[in-house]
Amino acid sequence: MIIVFDSSTLILLAKTDLLREVLAEVEIIISQEVQAECLAKKTADAELISLLVQEGRINVRKTIDAKAIKQLQMDFRIAKAEAESLWLARKHQYPIAIDDGPGIKASKVLGLQFLTAVHFLLRLASRNILSPELAQEKLTTLVQYGRYSKRIIEDAMSRLQEGRK
Amino acid sequence: MGVISLRLENSELKRIDDLSSQEHKGRSTVARELIQQGLQFRMLKQYRDGKLSLGNLAKSLGISVGETIDMLAEFGIESPVAYEDYLKGFEVKW
Repeated sequence: MIIVFDSSTLILLAKTDLLREVLAEVEIIISQEVQAECLAKKTADAELISLLVQEGRINVRKTIDAKAIKQLQMDFRIAKAEAESLWLARKHQYPIAIDDGPGIKASKVLGLQFLTAVHFLLRLASRNILSPELAQEKLTTLVQYGRYSKRIIEDAMSRLQEGRK
Repeated sequence: MGVISLRLENSELKRIDDLSSQEHKGRSTVARELIQQGLQFRMLKQYRDGKLSLGNLAKSLGISVGETIDMLAEFGIESPVAYEDYLKGFEVKW
């Protein structure tokens, strides 16, 4: 399955050290602006993303409609990278991975299917790519960076404990 | 660097003076830092309320998205991902 990734989810999964596992499950597409945003500073997460791009495991796509992207930025008050991700997802009718409030709102308005970093973690656990213990450990780390609400954390934890997706 | 003049309450001036002596910094430096931190606080609040995207927040703060995520984690600012939206994510068939 092909999924367009925004910087937010891509960086969260890199910080949680789950990107390689996610790549075994899905094909990741990012825009050039997302690539630039993720690699802006030489941090550990940026190094990992850079390596995966070099290895051709994360595909970088060019966006060609600057006018439409500018319009998305203005309509939803989002940054260029977020607008490019939405544009790519909409053009190819791919789901979008996004952990950003205004970006999710825009995805809903545009009728796009969306996922957050938590969904990938739960997916990996349900496919036994992560053991239940490791999945719970990773959820703790992801929650630290992703700062999800108590309700989301409790639900994700119960899904892990019950072996649900 | 530009110059502005503004009237402050005596209590505000006292706070600046106190910080100035505590941190061994000039009054102007302390005032500039407080303005900067006030602007950051305002932007973080806008993000928390879902009015500012992560990318725009990073741009406004002049740091990378990765560093912004670290900063949000450090301050414990809750993600603007709503529970209902999280549930919607399970509708994706894969």
